[in-house]
Amino acid sequence: MDLQNLGYAVTQVVHNFGAATVVGGAAFMLLTAPQPASMQRKFAWLTGFGWGAQVLSGMGFGAISHYYYGKFPDIHDIAIAALVIKVLCAMSGLAVIALYLHYADGWAERQRHVAWQILFALGGTALTAAAFLRWFS
Amino acid sequence: MRTLIPLAVSIAACCYIPLALADDASVTISSPADGAKLSWTEQTKINYEVMPGSKGDHVHLYVDDKETSVLRQLKGSHTLETLKPGKHEICIKIVSKGHTPIGVQQCVKVTVE
Repeated sequence: MDLQNLGYAVTQVVHNFGAATVVGGAAFMLLTAPQPASMQRKFAWLTGFGWGAQVLSGMGFGAISHYYYGKFPDIHDIAIAALVIKVLCAMSGLAVIALYLHYADGWAERQRHVAWQILFALGGTALTAAAFLRWFS
Repeated sequence: MRTLIPLAVSIAACCYIPLALADDASVTISSPADGAKLSWTEQTKINYEVMPGSKGDHVHLYVDDKETSVLRQLKGSHTLETLKPGKHEICIKIVSKGHTPIGVQQCVKVTVE
């Protein structure tokens, strides 16, 4: 078994589950709204872990390349733009989750709904950018 | 213990074999030839053949150190964007599944007139 391929595969598993969580968690909250505040809080944590998994596994891809070849993946133009969009989405997603976990107890249901809409949009955008990163690299 | 030792040897062998084959990778650019003079009015086609080895997956094409295309066919031809008059370096580098150059490449220098 090639350890490099195993490393990429395990990292991809984490990355995929992270993507499914950030989009699926927000979609579930929107489709089944309004959920009790306690349930929404649990999903906020779950979505936060999803974004965290995305960030860490994304860094993992670069780390594996650097470990085996001493350099990071060679990407240009559209792929770089897609990666920047993914990073911005992840940072924004984590920021929204942090705000949600800190302040949402005092928010009206409408404000929580908007937060989930933003999180869904960020997840969808990141997932779309991922496809461009994959095929323009 | 009797079971563990053969198991450990098998795992080590499985992990070792791909590393041993990593040196099999190669890139051959059959045209344009190194030092070729090309016309700026005509499109340049590059013909290549790649042996990716165990670490390689596909290739990236570079013109003057700037990546211009991702080539997923390991053998074939590719039409370059029109090159400006002057000297240019065209390179094909084998990259891993993670798009990292594995260190195997071939470059040709051409002059466009």
